[in-house]
Amino acid sequence: MTSEPPRPEPESQPPAPAPAPSVKSPGPGRRSFLRGMAGGVAGGVVAGGVAGAAAGYAYRNTPPDPAAAANEAALQGRLPAVPFHGKYQAGILPPSQRASVVVSFDATADSRAGLTELFQTVTDRARALTTGYTPQPVGIGGPPSDSGVLGPTVVPDGLTVTFGVGSTMFDGRYGLAGLRPAQLVPMRSFPNDNLDPAQCGGDLIMQLSAGNTDTVLHALRDIAKNTRGGMQANWRIDGFLSPARPAGTVPRNMLGFMDGISNPSVTSAAQMDSLVWIQPGTTGEPAWTAGGSYFVVRLIRMFVEFWDRVDVYEQETMIGRRRDTGFPLDSDSIDGTPDYALDPTGDVIPLTAHMRLANPRTPQTESSRILRRAYNYDRGLDQVGNLDMGLVFTCFQQDIHRQFEAVQTRLIGEPLVDYISPFGGGYFLALPGVTDSNDYFGRALLA
Amino acid sequence: MRTRRLLAATSATLAAALAVALAGCGSDGTGQPSDVVTVSSNQCGSTWHLAGPGWHTFEISNQSTGGGEIDLIDPANGAVYDEIENIGPDTTTPMSLDVGSGKYAFLCLFQDFSPLAGPTVTVGGHASGTAAILPVTYNDVLPLASKYQRYTETGLQVLARETATLAADVRHGNLTAAKRDWLTAHLQYETLGAAYDAFGNFDDEIDGRADAVGLNSPKWTGFYRLEYGLWHGQSAAELRPVASTLDTNVRQLLASWPTQQIPLLDIGLRTHEILENALEFQLTGHDDYGSGTTLATTVANIAGTRELLSLLHLLLAPRYPGLPAVYTGLEQLQALLVKEQRPNGTWVPVSQLPLAAHQAIDAACDQVLAELAPIASIAEPRNTANDF
Repeated sequence: MTSEPPRPEPESQPPAPAPAPSVKSPGPGRRSFLRGMAGGVAGGVVAGGVAGAAAGYAYRNTPPDPAAAANEAALQGRLPAVPFHGKYQAGILPPSQRASVVVSFDATADSRAGLTELFQTVTDRARALTTGYTPQPVGIGGPPSDSGVLGPTVVPDGLTVTFGVGSTMFDGRYGLAGLRPAQLVPMRSFPNDNLDPAQCGGDLIMQLSAGNTDTVLHALRDIAKNTRGGMQANWRIDGFLSPARPAGTVPRNMLGFMDGISNPSVTSAAQMDSLVWIQPGTTGEPAWTAGGSYFVVRLIRMFVEFWDRVDVYEQETMIGRRRDTGFPLDSDSIDGTPDYALDPTGDVIPLTAHMRLANPRTPQTESSRILRRAYNYDRGLDQVGNLDMGLVFTCFQQDIHRQFEAVQTRLIGEPLVDYISPFGGGYFLALPGVTDSNDYFGRALLA
Repeated sequence: MRTRRLLAATSATLAAALAVALAGCGSDGTGQPSDVVTVSSNQCGSTWHLAGPGWHTFEISNQSTGGGEIDLIDPANGAVYDEIENIGPDTTTPMSLDVGSGKYAFLCLFQDFSPLAGPTVTVGGHASGTAAILPVTYNDVLPLASKYQRYTETGLQVLARETATLAADVRHGNLTAAKRDWLTAHLQYETLGAAYDAFGNFDDEIDGRADAVGLNSPKWTGFYRLEYGLWHGQSAAELRPVASTLDTNVRQLLASWPTQQIPLLDIGLRTHEILENALEFQLTGHDDYGSGTTLATTVANIAGTRELLSLLHLLLAPRYPGLPAVYTGLEQLQALLVKEQRPNGTWVPVSQLPLAAHQAIDAACDQVLAELAPIASIAEPRNTANDF
């Protein structure tokens, strides 16, 4: 492997952003069922929507919105560096960046030593790329060390590199069979899935996310270039995050609905410890997995033409939220907690609504919550000229069976399945973080 | 096809207005120190001074009325730290490098002027910086080109015998023999990879793809056209003119060969371009017109690459630390490919490779291409002060 890590030259960057403001801040009180039922929606928000283009100006005159400021920084390619070193990987908790790519690789290294070198090279490149540096010219010694896609100086632009392993990594090839994480198996097919084997699984998974697509693609080219002999890409999908419209922090998916409203609080260490990070000493888990997180990727096509032929009331009852505002159907706030106890027969939020099945908000289902980090995708057309767009659904959790699979099992047969088709993805384990400059991805696994 | 601008070697000397200046330390906006070094056709920078070793950007300002090449060299042996291959008149171009402790001088190579070295500047301390590479000169490469010319001629002679056999097979209606002899001849042609440029239109006629003209076009000729017919049930009568034209084209190429010239630049460039083409057209299966032998073609391309490397070996060995990895990488790729030849001699079509085998081959090819890439730059012939 040609690995010539440029010397990182940390630029003077503003300090890393504070963790994402929780979307679960206390909101205004709930409205009554009946008002929700009648389709009454808070006037202010509707006005904002109707104002259309003019709304953009209004936002600039309102007090600074951290999300908007981040958007501005992203547009200029100037998101600050996200610190690479830490107990956990850096790309799991921070607010999602605007651009992302998920790539599955198969390991082609010819030995355990080669595999270790691969992981070290990925680490070196990730460290340099997320920090920023000025690539050194090589004189007459060969082609340039950098693609130049970001100009003469590689800016961090909020880049995060999330690296994980799949179950096939633990076959006989590299002597890792005894170290397989307890729950790392090939992704199971759910009743409404249409999985394409060519777009499923893989020995390795990498998610690169940053403020801009050029930053993401620069990183992908750099990492691939430096790992040529060690791994081969299997499948790939590009994702983008829409701006929160008309305002707020929650972006919309291609169905037109806000996606990712009700996530666990990333600022709550207790919630992250109980829901996201594999804890030391977990029964059945090899010790090296502590600090890692199960990383589920689901590539979900959305049949948007079909969806667009469905009236909005039906759309909203399938989801459980208002399309324009993101409010639960029984609430007048996006942060409102739906009260299913008051609606036991689903008169307001149907029992089969996506939101209600996914998170019934009972003490018994609390431990099945997942940390979602989804991106939209758009990649051309299908065979009948329909738009091939949908969701790169990614989520992190401590326990695939207790969390993702429990949620997905509750969703089997939901009305929404007619409009979506999961076709790819896989189960992976996001490795524990790289703690310092001597550490590397998977050291505890490979050492 | 790539082209690189060559500076004509010339001994003409002309006086021109003297314009040498050296500005003080400036900044290029990134906080790194920079100097303006003014060059022209009759003076190549003047004394400059660095406080110490480290990253540095020289702003090279060309005050002459013509274009040229500016090198930063070690005056002791002419080794090149960095170069600006073409700097236009009245332009300023940055040259950034990690300047280590040692001796430096600029070398100016302007069109129609003798090479001119500037004053020697010593950078103190004990720091290492960007390494200088001893340039390969035209004199170094000229004998290699003649040697390669002879290698190709011998190869074409072999090829001409093979295409004659192939044409005879088709003429006699023995298409089974023709399939066998097609492969022999095509692989022979594919070992001559470095010469495509010099083959000119002959390459399109002998080894052209259908893409430009279409599978059914009479304008499509050569090995791939014949392959398509042989493996798609076309009759001997239909293929007779195809095989005959192929044989004729090869003999014409051989006859014209002594008057053809291999561009000196091609020898270095082709060390990676042959396998770049193999990755693009053979390992993807693009050039499989029915025989399923693109993996064999790739093996032939490795042989062509090795021939170039053996020519360049003595020049590369002292200049390129990655050379052993190149040889290892070629062996690894070849070992993976020959595993796909069946005991009866036939080859697994690339479209039928299991995923893991495909990935292993692709990875090995990608890896050796990365190792081969610097050779084009290192082996590029350069003018030096010693040439004159």
